Amino acid sequence: MKLQSLARGAALVLAALASLLLAAAPTWASDGASNPAKIPRLSSGKPDFSGIWETTSAADYDLEPHGSRKDAPPGPGIVEGNEIPYTPEALAKKQKNFAARDVSDPRLKCWTLGTPRGIYYPEPFQILQRTQDLTVYFEFGDSVRTIHTDGTLHPIETDHEFWLGDSRGHWEGDTLVVDVRDFNDQTWLSRVGDFHDEAFHIVERWKLVDANTIDYKATIEDPGVYTRPWNIEVYLYRHREKNFELIENYCYTLDYDSYYPYPKQ
Amino acid sequence: MNEPVTTTSATERARKRAAMAFTALIMLPLLVLSQQTPAPTVQPTAGAPATASAQPRAAGGLGYEKTVPVIAAGQWTGKRLADGQPDVSGDWSNTIANHNNFTDPQGGIPGDPQARGRQLGPREERAPSRVSDPADGELPYLPWAREKQHEFQVGFFLNTKPEYIEPLARCAPAGIPKSFYWHGYEIRQYPGYILFLFNSGSRIIYLDNQKHLPQNIKLWNGDSRGHWEGNTLVVDVSNLNAKARLGRTGDFTTENVHVVERFIFQNDNKRYNYVATFEDPDAFSRPFTVTIPARRWSVEDKTNGWHYEVPLANNPGKPPQGDHFERICVENNGGFGRVAVSAGNTGDKPK
Repeated sequence: MKLQSLARGAALVLAALASLLLAAAPTWASDGASNPAKIPRLSSGKPDFSGIWETTSAADYDLEPHGSRKDAPPGPGIVEGNEIPYTPEALAKKQKNFAARDVSDPRLKCWTLGTPRGIYYPEPFQILQRTQDLTVYFEFGDSVRTIHTDGTLHPIETDHEFWLGDSRGHWEGDTLVVDVRDFNDQTWLSRVGDFHDEAFHIVERWKLVDANTIDYKATIEDPGVYTRPWNIEVYLYRHREKNFELIENYCYTLDYDSYYPYPKQ
Repeated sequence: MNEPVTTTSATERARKRAAMAFTALIMLPLLVLSQQTPAPTVQPTAGAPATASAQPRAAGGLGYEKTVPVIAAGQWTGKRLADGQPDVSGDWSNTIANHNNFTDPQGGIPGDPQARGRQLGPREERAPSRVSDPADGELPYLPWAREKQHEFQVGFFLNTKPEYIEPLARCAPAGIPKSFYWHGYEIRQYPGYILFLFNSGSRIIYLDNQKHLPQNIKLWNGDSRGHWEGNTLVVDVSNLNAKARLGRTGDFTTENVHVVERFIFQNDNKRYNYVATFEDPDAFSRPFTVTIPARRWSVEDKTNGWHYEVPLANNPGKPPQGDHFERICVENNGGFGRVAVSAGNTGDKPK
């Protein structure tokens, strides 16, 4: 009898534990926590982001929550708190950009999308990773961004006015933290005219949620344009289709492509 | 581009940089002339590259060499990456000349009205043709194609048709093989991939033994499938759009060209020869081989505006190392484009 009750008691405890575990499991998943053993890693032990990635979000159409438009599918937005905190003057400029988006979006000329837009633009990019750097190769325009992870600092000169910014990364556990600065003022953040000026500064946080999903977060600041730093978060999914690869896309050549028919007899 | 660029400080600075690059470009032949060293030991011939000192020339400077070293295909005894590939990553540049003239690389552009009275000596005093086969160093054009090449060469200075503006002047990728003699470039290597980052354009070489893309897809840099054979990277290139020119001499191929490239690396990892066979029966009477010697550039060479556009990294307290910035041309269009079109023209409409 004693043994039986002990067994029954043990079973109850086990059941209670199991239900606790079951209840807890969905919480873990929704937190985006990952099993550290299950993500790909370099021989150095650092997470390996190598692969071809793409967003499924409508972020490039509009970072903020938006309903359906003729030129955009609806989307819940990727801005924490929903609204980009523009100064009044900057908001007026954004609205002007919005009105002229059919002609003014730099994307239409296939100009380099910039950071962070290239990351959530709906066209794949490939990460090629070494210990000392990550090369982010965007199919759109074949533009190439290097994230240095070799301990080097931003250049001493700060007026390069890069299209993609100067990217220096370091690891905080399994998160790649990248400081990006020294931009020009030519890129937009989305199709609706979100913009920045040369003081644009981004801190990115890249983390593998699982082997095939990157949680991409960025804190964006630019005191002349926004009243405070603001955050975005978007998931990037690995292309796993058989034989999927980037196709060269120097789309900025399309405007003059017709001038160069290959010579024929 | 079609859209006029809005005038902002950034664009102005970009234009200034482009203008500086333009000036450097104009100055380059003069620099080359003034810095050319006396003719090295062995005289090159077109068919068989002559033996030259296998050591790179003294560090720094924009000088060019006049001979092509012999580098035999064979074993790789140098450093390897974890995946077994020979480790050839780093910064490289050709050692002969830029793209002015394909078959007489140090001979200037024929018909150049800006040649400034420069007198060329006998042909054998200059680097050999990039065409190492046929032995005469000439591209074996079919008659119609030779005529077309000549038209492009003359047209380059006329600006009477949009197609006479060389695509590279509009920031198009330099293509194959011109990318290998248009500024220095970087090689990065990964399991399954080799990445070439050129001054204008980039190339991903797939080491996957897969088939080429369907032939209806045509690309500036083509579709590249490669593998290693000892010290030699062999790359099969197809799907070229054949819009890029081979030089300002108007040389070209058609989009049916098939290229097999061999990057033959010297075991000390200081040099390699690019030896590529082009088959293009639509424009040429026989296959031809292009040979382009290259050497590694490093921090000992010091940054210069052409072969080694690599600044020193901000790395206090650590050994000097090169830094690598983005290379983006399209938005800076205008400056360089004016080599080929009149000042003030954005490059779209020839005057």
